[in-house]
Amino acid sequence: MKTDALIDLLARGAGPAPRALAARRLSPAALVGLLVSAGAAIYWFGAIPAGMFATAVPWMKMVYAGASALAAAWLTARLSRPAAPVMRPRRALLAVLIVMALVGAISLISEPSGARMQALLGSSWSSCPWSVLLLSMPALAASLWAVRGLAPTQPRAAGFAAGLLAGSVGAFGYALSCPEASPAFVAVWYTLGIALTGAVGAVLGPRVLRW
Amino acid sequence: MPVDASPGDFESALKPLWLRAQSGDDAAYRQCLGLLAARLRGYLKRRLSGLPDEVEDLVQETLLALHLQRGTYDPTLPVSAWAVAIARHKLVDLWRRRGRRDSLHDAIDDVDEQLLAAEPDDGGARRDLEVLFDELPQAQRQAIVLTKLEGLSVAEAAARTGASESAIKVQVHRGLKRLAALVRKDD
Repeated sequence: MKTDALIDLLARGAGPAPRALAARRLSPAALVGLLVSAGAAIYWFGAIPAGMFATAVPWMKMVYAGASALAAAWLTARLSRPAAPVMRPRRALLAVLIVMALVGAISLISEPSGARMQALLGSSWSSCPWSVLLLSMPALAASLWAVRGLAPTQPRAAGFAAGLLAGSVGAFGYALSCPEASPAFVAVWYTLGIALTGAVGAVLGPRVLRW
Repeated sequence: MPVDASPGDFESALKPLWLRAQSGDDAAYRQCLGLLAARLRGYLKRRLSGLPDEVEDLVQETLLALHLQRGTYDPTLPVSAWAVAIARHKLVDLWRRRGRRDSLHDAIDDVDEQLLAAEPDDGGARRDLEVLFDELPQAQRQAIVLTKLEGLSVAEAAARTGASESAIKVQVHRGLKRLAALVRKDD
């Protein structure tokens, strides 16, 4: 087939281009991932006592995970579109991390020095990042699938961003069953869980994001 | 518009046309694809000097990808930068499939200059897309043949096949996606 014939074929009856394609693919993926991870967290680990929702603790975790998910989704959407600039979403994501790190550091400093280690490690530091990683897997599969249908020209970076999005979604779900109360704990171990999921996404990206 | 206009002129002539195409003007879309094909041919020809037979195949593969991914175009960006990013991706993909990893030294930033020269001549494709059509599932092939080759409207094609209009549109899109996948496997 001559190229001109192909052009005729593509243009004939083409109609308008789909709008807001990245958002239309990524939002349902993140939503499904969120529902599954929240359900799995409650089913496997049990929900935190309802009384905890009267304190700031679970909200702090959800605000952190939610803000990080939004920034990561923005970055993922940009990396799914050829030639789109990524500077601003990258900065937004970094800002979320820095704010959480500062809040964690301040809370740690305000603890009496003997209680700092306990605040940082809690009772579940060794399982928290793995739980977040595990709960992120449905969101990771869904968001990689969403990005795969778009046009990522840097598959490793796009996989990493999709992984950070999934990790944040998983952290949001885990917040529903995580007994820890210290912001320092969240700043370290939640972030590690999100980063681990990002790393898995970066490894998978070049393999699954081909088009 | 002369085909050898400078990159800035090229972009400023292409963009309004492209925006019309994006909102559903098929004639503008055809014109845009023609202009882009000539530029992409020049871009790819220079990078595939060792594989001249591949140029037109890759132009066609890139056009198919541009079409399938037109929803990822962001109106705040230059159309040519978006198109070249896709062409470059297809080029890297070709090299990767050919087992050449050392061939890409240029940074992404140099895309605009690279689009300078147009190549209006179609050097002839080695691979015939029409042959690949035969590998599509029946419903997809039929939807493409009726609406894209015979030029029926979606409503006419729906009446002819008994499928709904939205089913016809879905089959066309899936068929073109499938075709793009077949093109990659074909090498």
